[in-house]
Amino acid sequence: MIIMRLSLREAISRRVLAASTVFSVGFVGLFWLAYSLAFSSVAESTSDPSESAVVAGILTIMGLYTVQFLASFLTILLASGTVASEIDSGRILSIMARPLPRWSWLAQRAGTFGGMAMVYVLLMTGAVLLVAAGIGGYQPLNPLRGMALLALQVAVLVALGAGLSTRFSTVATGVIVVALYGLAWLGGIVEFVAGALGNQTLERVGIVVSLLIPSDALWRGASYYFQNPVLLMAAEMDDVGLPFASSVPPSGPQVAWAVVYVLICGTLAVRSLNKRDL
Amino acid sequence: MSLDARDPMVFDDAPAETVSPLPSDTTAPTSPPLRATGLRKAYRGRVAVEHLDLTIAPGETVGLLGPNGAGKTTAVKMLLGLVRPDAGTAELFGVPANQPRARRGVGYLPETFGQPPWATGRQVLSTHADLAGVDTDDRRAMLDRSLYRVGLAGRGEEKVGGYSKGMRQRLGLAAALLGEPKLVILDEPTSALDPVGRREVRDIVRDLTEAGTAVLLNSHLLGEVEAVCERIVVMHRGRVLTDRSVAGLPTGQEVRITTDGLTAAHLAVIQGHGMLGHHDDRTAIVALDDTDATPELITSLVAEGVNIRSVVPLHSSLEELFVRLVGDAVHDDDAVGRKGAGR
Repeated sequence: MIIMRLSLREAISRRVLAASTVFSVGFVGLFWLAYSLAFSSVAESTSDPSESAVVAGILTIMGLYTVQFLASFLTILLASGTVASEIDSGRILSIMARPLPRWSWLAQRAGTFGGMAMVYVLLMTGAVLLVAAGIGGYQPLNPLRGMALLALQVAVLVALGAGLSTRFSTVATGVIVVALYGLAWLGGIVEFVAGALGNQTLERVGIVVSLLIPSDALWRGASYYFQNPVLLMAAEMDDVGLPFASSVPPSGPQVAWAVVYVLICGTLAVRSLNKRDL
Repeated sequence: MSLDARDPMVFDDAPAETVSPLPSDTTAPTSPPLRATGLRKAYRGRVAVEHLDLTIAPGETVGLLGPNGAGKTTAVKMLLGLVRPDAGTAELFGVPANQPRARRGVGYLPETFGQPPWATGRQVLSTHADLAGVDTDDRRAMLDRSLYRVGLAGRGEEKVGGYSKGMRQRLGLAAALLGEPKLVILDEPTSALDPVGRREVRDIVRDLTEAGTAVLLNSHLLGEVEAVCERIVVMHRGRVLTDRSVAGLPTGQEVRITTDGLTAAHLAVIQGHGMLGHHDDRTAIVALDDTDATPELITSLVAEGVNIRSVVPLHSSLEELFVRLVGDAVHDDDAVGRKGAGR
């Protein structure tokens, strides 16, 4: 609890949260404005309720896609200094000379940063869905499952960032995790294109990338639950769907792998820190 | 001993803090606060510490000396379980140093006491009091006492980011002393302090010793070590050159004479007044038979036609010992290197 309190104060002092809050409030306001303008324009041009529902769905998914993007970067920013920044500043010496196990220190720091990022992503997702429901009467398939998967995505990035920061500097860790995050995004697009073309080899490439870092796979899984049935039906009829969302539910093994991934990264992070000279 | 001129009695009403029992209370009552055997550490093939044996008894104050890069800080970190030794063992109160419970009852001031700049001095101390397991009814009074002890009374509400280097070092010392540890390890505790601050730290170390606390003082300030330590351990290039009692050092009756030139005849005159130590064609160190014999020696040398530039009494015999030990070690290493290169 001591380290959690300290980490929380540290994150607040870094003004990352303040900047994120200001930016996020601005984003939700902008989303509300754009959503209401776009939705009223569509409502005027068509009397088909399913067409309005599809447009509402696309706008909502785009808003949530931006939210997960922002949340991912906030997570990476917080997590990449979990250990490295403490070593660079020399703060770790006086803390670790106390009767405190290294695993506890690491778990408390990573847990605090992860918890903060999770609260952020849940609040922002809730805000976007509220705007969509208030203006367009949007009803996602299962928002709670979607939020749970986004929280798992945060956990994946925190565990990866914390693990790498036991060996790399803050900047290097940030660069590596962003690169892997970008790779995962690319893998998701490749998988989407492969699905549209029916190319199994390409599809396998996408799967391998999602095993290497399952962040995009988790977003795609969440995006399924954030869509409304009309949008999913339209995607099924087109046989394509949105390039940055999934029209099929996430598989059990996919979610299980993400959980195992977090556990593996966490265990390796603790082992790495235990073996590290301070 | 307080660092501040204010009346220390002002805090007497505050309840005394207690800490969790030391491991030694339950596991090994006879174990010394610190015991290291055969510690070795190398970084990428370069040896930082080679076969370090060190034991510190309760209430003993040991000075760890050595030039830059001697391996002192690595040694200290191994003793605290912060660095994993390649070989050997380190125990604190009979418990392996890499186990967190071994560090109960240990106070440590690192060479750089890095603290979050956004925190106040009081917040930093409060966090360390929590980590050290200090249990007190009146946390505020306890922290006031700690700040007062290191000369930071009234500065606890200021952010550490605004502290000077010296103030941060004082704060680090206060953190290290929280909970009345039975072993205190100080790594260059006065490097950022002015002469007054250094004296104050010396007083604190003496108080710790009187209270039965074992102290390991890592410093390159020989006078400081000589003033407060009972024992010195001199390291160079990872090796221990000597581990001896300060009381056993020479008496300090040496003077260093610097001239325009010294001949064999002049050296013979010097030997008439004491034991000739290190000398070359211009300088000589002599341990005088009588501490008051300096004017007589000067008169004799001038009578021999020696042009004397300076005569400096060597108050710190430790300094001479240190320079001799390290200088000899460098000479020996160089000789070995040349021999190896010549093969």
